[in-house]
Amino acid sequence: MTCPDYHRRIGSGFIERRVLPVLLLLVVAGLPGANPARAEEDVAESFVTQAYIEMRTQPGRGYPVFYVAERGERIELLKRRTDWIKVRNARGIEGWVHVDDIGRTVDAHGDALALSSPNYEGYTERDWEFGVLVGDYGDTDAFGGYLGWHFTRNLSLELAATENFGDASDGTMGTLSITHQLYPTARYSPFLTLGGGVRETRPRSTLVESQDRTDNVASVGLGVRVHLFQRMFLRLQYKHYSVMTDRDDDEEVDEWKIGISAWY
Amino acid sequence: MENWYQRLVLAGLLGMPLVAQAGEGPPRQVVNPDIERRELRQVDIDTEDFEVSVYSGILSIQDFESDVVYGVRAAWHITEDFFVEGSYGQSEGDETSYEKLSGGSPLFAGGERDYTFYNLSLGWNALPGEIFITDRYAFKSDLYFVLGAGSTDFLDDNWFTVTAGAGYRLLLTDWLAWRLDVRDHIFDRDTFGEDETTHNLELSTALTVFF
Repeated sequence: MTCPDYHRRIGSGFIERRVLPVLLLLVVAGLPGANPARAEEDVAESFVTQAYIEMRTQPGRGYPVFYVAERGERIELLKRRTDWIKVRNARGIEGWVHVDDIGRTVDAHGDALALSSPNYEGYTERDWEFGVLVGDYGDTDAFGGYLGWHFTRNLSLELAATENFGDASDGTMGTLSITHQLYPTARYSPFLTLGGGVRETRPRSTLVESQDRTDNVASVGLGVRVHLFQRMFLRLQYKHYSVMTDRDDDEEVDEWKIGISAWY
Repeated sequence: MENWYQRLVLAGLLGMPLVAQAGEGPPRQVVNPDIERRELRQVDIDTEDFEVSVYSGILSIQDFESDVVYGVRAAWHITEDFFVEGSYGQSEGDETSYEKLSGGSPLFAGGERDYTFYNLSLGWNALPGEIFITDRYAFKSDLYFVLGAGSTDFLDDNWFTVTAGAGYRLLLTDWLAWRLDVRDHIFDRDTFGEDETTHNLELSTALTVFF
């Protein structure tokens, strides 16, 4: 009577202990950032120097504090999600601590850890920015995205893609611009921009003469960035485009856009 | 007299180290400042702020029935409250009621009915929460709202599309989540002669990975 049960237990145990871990490993190994072996290597440790730090059940300010690590306690830093760091103490208790609290802990040499939530100083010294913009391109709906790289505090290179939707034609445009912000540390920071690129114009399918065309464009513009909080800022811009068509006259187009950007 | 003598000796004593120091180079530090220099140590920590999803569901295309939709999404969690997300998806419009009832030849060719779209949205984790399954397990959850803009390619034309919706994300582990999304793709279409605003509701479920 016990035999089939025994075998079944052996069988299921085999699957659980041998097959499942291997399958899981194969799945997990293929996922970037989810590899537990790699996470172990990256483990940084730190010691609590303030009176205590609060560990929460989940990464968020509203989640309950379920454990308090005391002064002198050693904690391992496992991973970060936005402003929260997952930590594990010597007894294996895991929880999420705010990054600013971790920034006040020290390593084995007594040095403070360079960890903090993104702040205004970081914003003024950003290397990258990325944003989504919507607005109006020559009286048609337009939307697009851009990626900017700051090679000095004042100057950045911006790669932008815009799509616009008109009654007579649609268009897609890619431009590369150099942007100069006059006062990089100002909360309301004006900028000037100059660029060029390519525009593809596609007449609507309802029109008879439907020949796509590709033209070069040059642009000049100005705008303002307004820092909102942490990594986020608002961007307002006006650009004037000259579309160099095959016809006698170039097309002159005004564009207004507003968007949300984030820096890194 | 005595005063004058003392002054001379003092001047000599004070002057001597100055002369000696000038010859030796840098001045000796007499007082140790009581401030330790704080070194900041860079920490290489695994940051998991990006989320990629593969999703599928149903898209109801106004006048063109409902069909299966599938696509991919990628999000960057900028703060614990906000994320930006790009989506790409595709579906296909079926026959309109008119085409079915009239029994005549179809108004649109097969390829024209392909419905592909992409959009960029801003998401707000409005209602973060925690789900408890038995007294042993707790999972993080978020109810979020998204608002975005994008392009829809349908009936051989591109349409400026506003996307609005809400979703629910349940984190099964720190890096794996399950999502439910409801989104309305709103665009003005003039295919049938005059401009009309169409609402195209998308109901989808997704498996997402944070990295």
